[in-house]
Amino acid sequence: MIRPLEHIVIPSGLIALGGLLGWSLFLAITGETGDRLAEIALARVPDSGVSNPVTSVLLNFRAYDTLLELAVLLTALLGIWSLGAAGPGFQKAASVLEGMVAGFVPLLILSAGYMLWVGAYAPGGAFQAGALLGAAGVMLALAGHRNAGLPSEDRLRPLVALGVFVFAITGVLLAVVGGGFLTYPAGLAKWLILIIETAATLSIGATLAAAYLGGRPAPEHATRESA
Amino acid sequence: MIDALPLAVTLPLIGALAVTVWPAHARGLGLAGALITAVSALTVTTEVWSRGALRADLGGWGAPLGIALEADGLSAAFLAMANLVALAVSVYAGGYFKRETARHFWPLWLLLWSALNGLFLAADLFNLYVTLELLGLSAAALGALTGTREAVAANLRYLLVGLLGSMSYLLGVALVYAAYGVLDIGLVAEAVEPGPVAWTAMTLMIGGLILKAALFPMHFWLPPAHANAPAPVSAALSALVVKAAFYLALRLWLDVFAPVLGEAAANLLGILGAGAVVWGSWRALRAERLKLLAAYSTVAQMGYLFIAFPLLAATPPGLARENLLAAVVLLALTHGFAKAGLFLAAGMVQKTAGHDRIDELGGAAQALPAATFAIGLAGVALIGLPPSGTFLAKWMMLEQAMILGLWWWLVVMMVGTLLAAAYIFRVLSRAFNREPTPYRFVNDASTELPALLLGLIATFGLGIAAQPLWRLLEQGAFG
Repeated sequence: MIRPLEHIVIPSGLIALGGLLGWSLFLAITGETGDRLAEIALARVPDSGVSNPVTSVLLNFRAYDTLLELAVLLTALLGIWSLGAAGPGFQKAASVLEGMVAGFVPLLILSAGYMLWVGAYAPGGAFQAGALLGAAGVMLALAGHRNAGLPSEDRLRPLVALGVFVFAITGVLLAVVGGGFLTYPAGLAKWLILIIETAATLSIGATLAAAYLGGRPAPEHATRESA
Repeated sequence: MIDALPLAVTLPLIGALAVTVWPAHARGLGLAGALITAVSALTVTTEVWSRGALRADLGGWGAPLGIALEADGLSAAFLAMANLVALAVSVYAGGYFKRETARHFWPLWLLLWSALNGLFLAADLFNLYVTLELLGLSAAALGALTGTREAVAANLRYLLVGLLGSMSYLLGVALVYAAYGVLDIGLVAEAVEPGPVAWTAMTLMIGGLILKAALFPMHFWLPPAHANAPAPVSAALSALVVKAAFYLALRLWLDVFAPVLGEAAANLLGILGAGAVVWGSWRALRAERLKLLAAYSTVAQMGYLFIAFPLLAATPPGLARENLLAAVVLLALTHGFAKAGLFLAAGMVQKTAGHDRIDELGGAAQALPAATFAIGLAGVALIGLPPSGTFLAKWMMLEQAMILGLWWWLVVMMVGTLLAAAYIFRVLSRAFNREPTPYRFVNDASTELPALLLGLIATFGLGIAAQPLWRLLEQGAFG
């Protein structure tokens, strides 16, 4: 049986809306414009201290956006923590899964380090590296490690705040020494970006793993190494 | 000298990190962070006041490539209001939350504050999206702090609605970027030209924002979310967070899409605003709980702000339009102070009485003269009685509607004002219906004085001393 609202009106309305949006996008892309931002950005990549255009946009040209995005991640985690403690978690994995996890987690951590470093000149960077660390944490949690390999709450808090802290303090210090907020001095850009990305990687990894736990980590016995 | 603009965003952020790392000292560190933030933001406002519009190119890249922060009269006015209200809310929260909740309140609160300052100062369409995300996420998390089932459900809905609004805004930004290749507000304003692209982008962006600003009939999420949040959070949500969405809609309307607009769009917003005024006021009158009344009153007050759009669209550029714009800003600022004061006082009443059912408030309100007085003052400003800022603002809007011959807006505003008087007096009459002698005027200084102060600013400060606002708004146009 055909219900007119559900089967005709809403779908055709959505199709019309999608068509309108697609048409606007088509007009927007084909329209006459002058210098586009992407070309300007590509031309300035050599001045940014890194040769990967994505990293130079995220960590240099539009670093302030990235700073606030890291703050968004932190906010999400704090919001999750405000709702209560984490559930009991999964039971301890049997030997096969445990053996696989024991092999994969170090590999993930290693790949995260590689991703972080390679981000300067090829696809990669703090978010990708952090996602790998987070995946390592999720794997540990699935295999029954109670806190996903994260340290106790007292030490986890500085860890999740580290990325935003290093980023923001770098910005303010650069303003104090006279360059302006998040204005990297020539020559130092590469190293400052690397320091910020390293801190961000650790925080992103810890935040994602902690968010997966779905609540504040259990207070007692911190399990093994930090993700 | 260090640029004050990025500091107003970064200082609350660093404060939030400090309370995240040392939750045991959340209250002390949080209050210190609040004070420093407010000082830095008010510095921005005084700088704009004395030197004109400010701009900071972050990263030193300059307009199309990098991101800029900018403060003109409009943003400086909202910034000052938001930071004064937030400071009062912070002082109140210092005495309101127990230790366990305070651990969660302070980091999220300072993050929200950072997002607010970032939003008022942003000059880049994509950066505005990031601040909207930060704002929506922290606001929903704060709203759920009471942990009750209703609060969590209402704020989950708030979060999802907020995300929908942000997504719609982002889609509009993507369209603008695809068409014009720039994101800086000033550059987009230069590039934008009438046509289907600009029209669709405007609809998406302003549509997303009015969802966040809870404009009727998209207000359904607001009353439960605001009424179930802890009192200081309700105050911030109602006074500041919805106001931020309105600010951004106004900013886009005035600075970016000015050449694209038709009167039809303005009239549509005005009609929705009129619906909000009537429906919100009516529901406020019928509300059984004080905080629900305050929340519906927010729906109504947001309506007045949107009625300004058709008036602005119909007024030719010149002194009359500038006056009208200043009146709208004055209305928004006064509502910020008044509604925050009302929610803080209501929270005090609720805490003392153990409930906030209006019909049973008599004795409880009598025991709290300062809180009741604050409700009265806030009420004066919400109704729009002289000498409040609302009176002046509504008067100027009514006058302009008369001059333009758009008398129907006048009728709506009159009806809304009458209904506002009815719902405020309904509360006050309950507060005075028994006669035990008040014990003390002020019972708990740290929670009652902020509410009282906000009420005083709304009623006397902004009404009698509204002149400076006119001067501030003259300070430079954006872009």
